[in-house]
Amino acid sequence: MMSWPFRIIGFLFWYAKEFITSNYTVTAEVLRLSGRSRMRPAIVAVPAASRSDSEWTLISALITLTPGTLTITISKEHKILYVHGMFVENRGQLVAEIQEMEDRMLRAMRRAPGDLTRPTELPVVRPMDEAGESR
Amino acid sequence: MALADIADILGLVFIFLGIATIIISAIGLFKLPDLYLRASAVGTSAGLGVASIVLGALLMDFSGLNLIKAVIAIIAQLLTSAVGSMAIARAGYLNNALPAPITHIDELALTRREVSGGR
Repeated sequence: MMSWPFRIIGFLFWYAKEFITSNYTVTAEVLRLSGRSRMRPAIVAVPAASRSDSEWTLISALITLTPGTLTITISKEHKILYVHGMFVENRGQLVAEIQEMEDRMLRAMRRAPGDLTRPTELPVVRPMDEAGESR
Repeated sequence: MALADIADILGLVFIFLGIATIIISAIGLFKLPDLYLRASAVGTSAGLGVASIVLGALLMDFSGLNLIKAVIAIIAQLLTSAVGSMAIARAGYLNNALPAPITHIDELALTRREVSGGR
């Protein structure tokens, strides 16, 4: 495995590539005629492997920065990122995309990869006022 | 052709690319059906659009100090625009700005008590 600074540079290049391709797809979608739109928006709960506050902040900012995906909110207690995607064929596709970005980010950010596990089952989520002040 | 001329031309190309991105995302603002999709479209102008205009300006007037300024400007712009979009999207969702009907999955709806009010 590459040493830490090189992993960061590698991640930045990978992210720049993602950033440019997603800019291109969103721009193309806006210019396409409405009848031929390929838009399939969805809001998906993505299980996340981030632990510290800086990791949560960075992953949600990185997701929002790539056009076409947008973090609406996070739930740290359930370890979930709620992501709005513009081109989502099915749930699994967006989840895989986001988790790949998170894996790469965490490997670049942490000196040792550490724990990359995610909750496998989606938790039962209740409305905020019922569950108390848990945002 | 001197190196400065090439840099001038490249700078102009980047500036016009940025302008085009911003114009297209403005079209997206009108065309797209809901708050979240519009926020995604604006992301292209706030990210790539502004970044490539700054890069173009840097190429046209290159110096070490300007390089530092441009890098800081681009990073600060990217970070703040991301945080701004997230704040707008979350505030919209909490205030019943429902996603457009073409949104085929909405797992955040589980956290809502009921669907009330207009959009």
